[in-house]
Amino acid sequence: MAKPKIAFFKFSSCAGCQLNVLNLEPILLDIVGAVDIRYFVMAKRENFEGPYDIGFVEGAVTSPRELMELKKIREECSILVAQGACACHGGIPSVKNFSGMTQKEMEQRVYTELWDLKSFPAQAIDYYVKVDAYLKGCPMDKDEFVTLVTSALKGINPLFRYHSVCNECKLKENNCLVLTKGKACMGSVTAAGCGAQCPSLGRPCEGCRGPASDCNAASLAKTFIDLGLSRDDVVRKFRKYAGNTPEFSKGAEAV
Amino acid sequence: MSDRRIFVDYIARTEGDGAIDIVIGPNGEIKKARWEVWEPPRFFEAFLVGRKYDEIPEMVQRICGICPHGHHLAAVRAVERAMGVKVSRQTTLLRELLHYGDWIQSHTLHVYCLAAPDYLGYESVLAMAGNEELLPVVKQALSLKRLGNDMSVLIQGNEIQNRTSVVGGFTAVPSGSELRKIKERLKEAKDFAVATVRLGAKVASQDPYPQLVRKCEHVSLREEGKYPINGGRLVSTEGLNVPDWEYPEWLIEKHVPGCNCKHAIVKGRDSFLVGPLARVNNNFDLLSKDAQAIAKEVGFTVPDFNPFHSIIARGIELVHAIDTAMELIDELGDPVYEEPKYEIKAGEGYAVTEAARGICCHGGRIDKDGVCQKWDIVAPTSRNVYNLEKDFEYFVPKLLNLSDEELTLKCEMMIRNYDPCQSCATHSIKVNLRREA
Repeated sequence: MAKPKIAFFKFSSCAGCQLNVLNLEPILLDIVGAVDIRYFVMAKRENFEGPYDIGFVEGAVTSPRELMELKKIREECSILVAQGACACHGGIPSVKNFSGMTQKEMEQRVYTELWDLKSFPAQAIDYYVKVDAYLKGCPMDKDEFVTLVTSALKGINPLFRYHSVCNECKLKENNCLVLTKGKACMGSVTAAGCGAQCPSLGRPCEGCRGPASDCNAASLAKTFIDLGLSRDDVVRKFRKYAGNTPEFSKGAEAV
Repeated sequence: MSDRRIFVDYIARTEGDGAIDIVIGPNGEIKKARWEVWEPPRFFEAFLVGRKYDEIPEMVQRICGICPHGHHLAAVRAVERAMGVKVSRQTTLLRELLHYGDWIQSHTLHVYCLAAPDYLGYESVLAMAGNEELLPVVKQALSLKRLGNDMSVLIQGNEIQNRTSVVGGFTAVPSGSELRKIKERLKEAKDFAVATVRLGAKVASQDPYPQLVRKCEHVSLREEGKYPINGGRLVSTEGLNVPDWEYPEWLIEKHVPGCNCKHAIVKGRDSFLVGPLARVNNNFDLLSKDAQAIAKEVGFTVPDFNPFHSIIARGIELVHAIDTAMELIDELGDPVYEEPKYEIKAGEGYAVTEAARGICCHGGRIDKDGVCQKWDIVAPTSRNVYNLEKDFEYFVPKLLNLSDEELTLKCEMMIRNYDPCQSCATHSIKVNLRREA
C-alpha cells in the first residue's frame, strides 16, 4: 500500500495541536517516514494541492473564509479529523458565543477599524461538514494522534474511550477532588483519554475534552450549586471548551 | 511599465496564517510593503470580561500554542498584582524554571526546524533529516527540544497548556529527584547548545546577511541582577526605562485597516523590535558566563542591529537557559507542596513577561467578586509587525538583483527572523512581490 497522503490545516486556534505533532520528537522521524506529508505550512515550505487521504483540521470556524476553505478541504480528504478542542467542540474561541455581547460590541471593544472584520459565532467543524474522527482535548493528546495514524496505516478503526475522566482517575487511585476537597471538577461529565491529567495533579478537570457519552451535566450543575458555586460560576464552567454542545448546554441551563 | 510584486500566500514555517505583499516600482522604489496577518480575530479581550479571575491565566495561554507560558505567566502575575497576592520564593523559582523550559523548546524549534532550512537550502527540517550528514544534528535538535518539553511536562503536566500553575502558586510540585534527572540531561545538552551558537554565526555570515543592518529601537525587560524572563523594568536601546506595569502608557498600538493586527510604536518615537536580539542587546552583562564567552568567541558584539543575527541570539539564550535552569534546580532542592492562599479582592494590575519571541503584556481590572471587568493583551508578534514592514522597505531595495524566487525567500526569512506567532498577532504570512519593469 502507498504511504497515505496527509495534510494539516489550521483555523481559529492557537496552533498548539499542530505543535503537538512536532512534540512527538522521539518518534517524529518514524511517523514522518511512514506517511507522506503533503501539506503542513507550519513545518514545511513545499506544500501540495489535494486530494489527501487524511486531513487534520485544527481550530474553530469563525469567518467566511474559513468556512469556504473547510468545505473545500472536506471534498479533498477521504478521512477528515477534527484535531483538538476548537475543531471538535468550538473550544476557547466559542466562549465569545456566550459573552452576552453582540458581535459588533465585541469588535468595538478590541479593534477601532471595524469595516474589514468578518467574524461570526465560533463553531466546531462538524457543525458544517461530516467529520470522521475526533482528537479531543486542549491540546489534542499526542498518543491518540499516534493511535489514529497507526490505525489508519493498518486499515482499522482506532479505539478511543468515551467514558468519563472519572474512570481514569479511579484507575490512577486518585482521591476524588469533589468528594474529598469539595472542588468543582468536571471529570464526571468529560470524555476520557487524557489519563485524568489535571485531577492527577490536584487541578479540577475543566472539561476541555468535551462531553463523555451519556453524561448527566444537569445533575453535576446542581452538585456545583451544593458545593457553593454561584449560578454564574456554574454557567462559566459549562460554557468554556464545549459550551456549544447540547450536553454541556444542559448543565449551563439547569441552574 | 509594470510593477514587480512579491506575494507569498501562507508563509511557511511560522505559526498561524499570514501573507507578504510587496510592490516594487520601475526605479526600484518600494510602493508597498505589507505583512498581512489574516489569522481570524478571536476577541479574547472581549470575552474575558465577565469571566472569573482564575480563568484568565487558563484561557489566555490558549492564545498561542507556541508561547503559552509567556501569556500564562504574565496573566497570573497581573491577576496577583490586581488582588495583592504574594507568592513564595519556591513558586517564583518554579515559574522561572518552567519558562526557561519553554525557551529551550521554542528556541530549538525555531533555530533548527523553522530557520536553519532557509540558510542550508532545504524546504523543511524533515528534508534536512534526509541528508545523512545532517541527520545526527536533526536528531540532537529533536532531543534538546524534547528536553525543554519534558521540563514543562514535569512542572505543569503538559508540553503546551498548563495544568498546575494557578493564581498563588501550583496545585502540584515536582520532586527533587525528578528535577535532578532533568539537570543531568541539561548538563549533557550544553555542548549542543554551544554548537548551535557556532552554527548560527556561520550561516548568518553568508552573503548577503552581514550587510542587512538596520538600526531601530530594541525593547525588552531588564531585571536587577538576573537576566529577565518573568519580570523586570521595560528598557530599550534608546533609553526607555520604566516599570513594566506602565507598558500601556509607553508602547502604543493602532489598528491598521486590511490587517487583523495592530501596529505598535514607542510613545513619541517609532516602531521597535522585541525578542531575543533585543534581550541580548539590553542584558548582555546578565547572561551566564558561558553564554557571554561563546558570544565573544563567534564575534557577536552588542548592540547588534542585524535582524538576521536573531538566530545567533537564540543560540546564546539557549546556552544561558541551560546554565540558569541548572542553577534554579540547585536552589529549588526538594520542593514541597504549598497550598495557594489568597483573598479575592478588587483591583487593577499589569505585568510583562519575556516570551521566547519577545515581551508579552497582560493586565486589567477585577471586581470584588473576582470577575474580570477589563483585560488588555499585547502579544510579542503584534509589537514586531510594523518594524518588520520597515525591514522590508529598507532591505528589499538592497536585494533587487536577486531573482523573484530568491527575493521571495529572503522576504520570508525577514519574517522568520522574528519567529512570529501569528495567532498572537492575530494574523499570518504570505509573500507577494511585484516589480515594475
